[in-house]
Amino acid sequence: MSFLGPIPLALWAWIAGGAVLLAVSAYIIKMRRRRFEVPFARLWKRVLEQKDANALWKQLKRLMSLLLMIAILGIILFAALDPTLGAVSRKARSVVVLLDASASMKAMDGDEAGTKSRLQIAKERAKTLIDGMGGGDLALIMKVDGQATPMSRFSTDAPMLNKIVDGIQASDTPADLTRALGAAADALRDRPNPLIVVISDGAFPEQQLGLVSWDKAKPTQLAPSDPKSAAAWNAKNLAAIDLSNVDVRYLPVGRRSDNVGIIAFNVRRYIANKAAYEVYVELQNFGTEPAHRQLRLYNGASNVDSKRIDLAPGQRIHKVYEKLPASEDNKLRVSLQPVEGAGGSDAFPLDDEAYALLPVRKKQKVAMITQDNLFLEGALLVYDNVDPVKFTPAEYDAKPSIVDGMDVVIFDEHTPAVLPMPPASLLFFHPTGANSPFTIRGESPSPRITEIDEGHPVMRWVTMSDVYMDKSNVFAIDAKKGESTLAYSVRDSIVAAKRDGKRKILAFGFSLPSEGRDGATDLPMRVAFPMLLVNTLDWFAGDTTDLLTTYSTGQRQRVPLDGVVGATEAEVKGPDGVVTKTPVIEGLATFYGSRVGYYDLTAKDTLGKPMAQIELAANLSSTIESDIAPSTELTLGGKKLEAPEAFAVSRSQKLWIYLVLLAMALIVVEWVTYHRRITV
Amino acid sequence: MARPSASGAFKAVDPRKPPAAARSNRAQDRSELFDEKFLKTLEHLHMVSRKVFAGNLRAERRTRKVGSGIEFADHRTYSRGDDFRYIDWNLYGRLDKLLLRLFEEEEDLSIYILVDCSDSMSIGTPLPKLHYAMQVGAALTYVGLANLDRVAIIPFAGKVIDRMPPARGKNRIFRVFEFLRQCQIGGQTDLAECMKTFVTQNKRRGLAVLISDFYDPEGFEQGLNTLRYNKFEPFVLQVYDKREAEPNLHGDLSLVDCETGETKDVTISRSLLEAYQREHESYCKELEAYCTKYAMPFFRTHTSIPFDELVLKIFRSGGFLR
Repeated sequence: MSFLGPIPLALWAWIAGGAVLLAVSAYIIKMRRRRFEVPFARLWKRVLEQKDANALWKQLKRLMSLLLMIAILGIILFAALDPTLGAVSRKARSVVVLLDASASMKAMDGDEAGTKSRLQIAKERAKTLIDGMGGGDLALIMKVDGQATPMSRFSTDAPMLNKIVDGIQASDTPADLTRALGAAADALRDRPNPLIVVISDGAFPEQQLGLVSWDKAKPTQLAPSDPKSAAAWNAKNLAAIDLSNVDVRYLPVGRRSDNVGIIAFNVRRYIANKAAYEVYVELQNFGTEPAHRQLRLYNGASNVDSKRIDLAPGQRIHKVYEKLPASEDNKLRVSLQPVEGAGGSDAFPLDDEAYALLPVRKKQKVAMITQDNLFLEGALLVYDNVDPVKFTPAEYDAKPSIVDGMDVVIFDEHTPAVLPMPPASLLFFHPTGANSPFTIRGESPSPRITEIDEGHPVMRWVTMSDVYMDKSNVFAIDAKKGESTLAYSVRDSIVAAKRDGKRKILAFGFSLPSEGRDGATDLPMRVAFPMLLVNTLDWFAGDTTDLLTTYSTGQRQRVPLDGVVGATEAEVKGPDGVVTKTPVIEGLATFYGSRVGYYDLTAKDTLGKPMAQIELAANLSSTIESDIAPSTELTLGGKKLEAPEAFAVSRSQKLWIYLVLLAMALIVVEWVTYHRRITV
Repeated sequence: MARPSASGAFKAVDPRKPPAAARSNRAQDRSELFDEKFLKTLEHLHMVSRKVFAGNLRAERRTRKVGSGIEFADHRTYSRGDDFRYIDWNLYGRLDKLLLRLFEEEEDLSIYILVDCSDSMSIGTPLPKLHYAMQVGAALTYVGLANLDRVAIIPFAGKVIDRMPPARGKNRIFRVFEFLRQCQIGGQTDLAECMKTFVTQNKRRGLAVLISDFYDPEGFEQGLNTLRYNKFEPFVLQVYDKREAEPNLHGDLSLVDCETGETKDVTISRSLLEAYQREHESYCKELEAYCTKYAMPFFRTHTSIPFDELVLKIFRSGGFLR
């Protein structure tokens, strides 16, 4: 007999001792009785004297009652130890079932008819394995996709394990075998007869298959002497999963290998013409036969392009759609659709669709409040994505509503008392006085820009190290208000930015050259100036040319949140409608896509107020997963994995349920005998 | 699960919690005991007694005492010192033996209603046994008074508590009511001591109606014998409460004797209850057998029987009314 209970024996002994002590104390402690008045106690006395003639029997019965109670207690405590009849065989194993739930397991080639997915077959195999376990075998189910998720603890409860297996769903991510093997090896450490059974189609990167050490004590070779090779050797050997003394078996699933998949899909705007974009699609035929498909590109619901594609076995092609015009809908989708005839369809539909997002772009209406500043007007003219108008400061002050409906208002050497209505974003050159958007704490003569915030979208690709300024206002930046400095002169903030509700505000502390102030700064003479303006307008519009909106599933990415500061958490709403939370650190949100499709990411402040929202798209984009050809054999760390044998263990019988039933029966007996006054 | 102890000696009741307090309060309240309805019942009983027992009712009662009456009773052998006037000379002529003629002496009947007012009598539902005993006592008193007998009422417990002097005539019944309402109650039963006191205080022999539950730890025999030995005619009326005979108890209890305050821890089982019922019945039978043995009229009643029904039963049996 063995004891498999989770309670350590020493603790169990303490609990048992305490419980028995309590039971005995309960018998010793005298019960508080109800008082009842009788007219003639002598009669009772006479009755009791007769009864007391068999007092010894009565004492015995009470003792029996106590013993019965202790027996019940003992049985329950014994059951807590999870006793198992028929000692656990030495062949009984601790099994970790690694059930591949990656994207390729969605391939509908589980059976000949194509009605079952690989995952369904894998589940059936896992359940057969579990049902074949002996009484002493313990199994843990682990789901393997982009992550390794233990779905149960080590258990012998086959129905429960089967139920867990039934509940596993495949995700749209590649499988991370290294992570799963590491977790399984950790779980099996110090357990008897460890066994890992991998149920999969074998779609793992070669690199992962090599990161295994079968004998940790004996590295296959010594570290190379040259430092570069030694570092690589160390990285490989230190990262290797220690599977020494662990038996690893492989159960293959899958039949077909013919598949045509989209392995890359991306879209970008032209830097010069942001109203247009181009699309890149890459396809591959992973099968051994020629394949034919209809490739369709959609912008929203409208079909942009449709073309028949013919692919030779193993052929990879790419297609670029150039100068596609912008539209109101920013959602792009490319789809491979089956065609009639041989090689016209495949068993893996997941990689037949891919998604991308194009940041919404429209022409910005820009109002300049200036006294004929040619530098400013000239810089704006080169940017064809704006629609500029100009007003004098006097015109604006007389009627601020003249800028209503504008997307951006630029104040050149003018700080108005009344700001334009939101959501118009504001750009100031040399704001002054109490109406300055940033508090002015002084003036810096002949400042030099010593540091810029390269992470901010406005300062991207901009060099300002040698820019000359005759003087500049210095801003007092309050980070609590969301204000940040984009450029410093030593420690003085001379370029600052902030969000003010729905709009954004940027201010340069210095003046642009103008009539009478030709030597104010040489910035307009530099390449950086138009770039600064373009970056600023893009930032105002929420558009950055290098913002990636298309990611691969199963990879953890850090997504920039458009210069948002102060956000601590973001909500991610997936294509399946599930909302998860993700932390935001230094303006970067962590994004992990487990499903193919569109995601909404909303950054929130500490009060839960939305600060920024961006859309993302996630695609499989994995040649490993799209190559659905099943591996009938798997070689791990140079060792070919065998199929699992039948579990040759002795049958052992769990006793706890019988013990609990016995305890319950004894409790009933005790209850009946007590209330029938048999044991009192 | 803690279990009650089945053993344990009797012990004194906690004096801070007098067990008889609540019960006595109920027994003390006797203001409603003799109301208009009660009086009407008594009148009815009186009428019924006249009708049923017509011919037997006389203001006089012949006693066993032989003396100066006019009705011949018996002969007995002459002994020295007897009055020569009562020698039956005719018989002497015929039998040549000196025999004395005995006559039944006629005198007023004295009826003593002895009511047990001990603590055990204060128990009972719906009304305490004491109230029932007082009602029966008052009813018998009324009939006695109406028959021009001399009726006295003596409440007792551990001793004779009080005494209402013998009275005659039914107009005295209100004094009886008042006396019964006012008299002290409570105490521990001591029949022997009380009967001893009673016979000492009452030289005129008569009918001694003893109404009690006879729950005397020292036994009832000595008390009854005291009456018998002193030429009283004991008339035994045992009153009990049905709940006493068949208690509806269960569980673990501390039984407290209402008179002595002794406690006994018991766990009531069905067999124990049955044993107690048998014991109670046996005790009552014991009393009955004792009375039968010594030709003492005996009645046993429980408080659920209306008192007038009991009184009629007493009348029918004879002994009280002659």
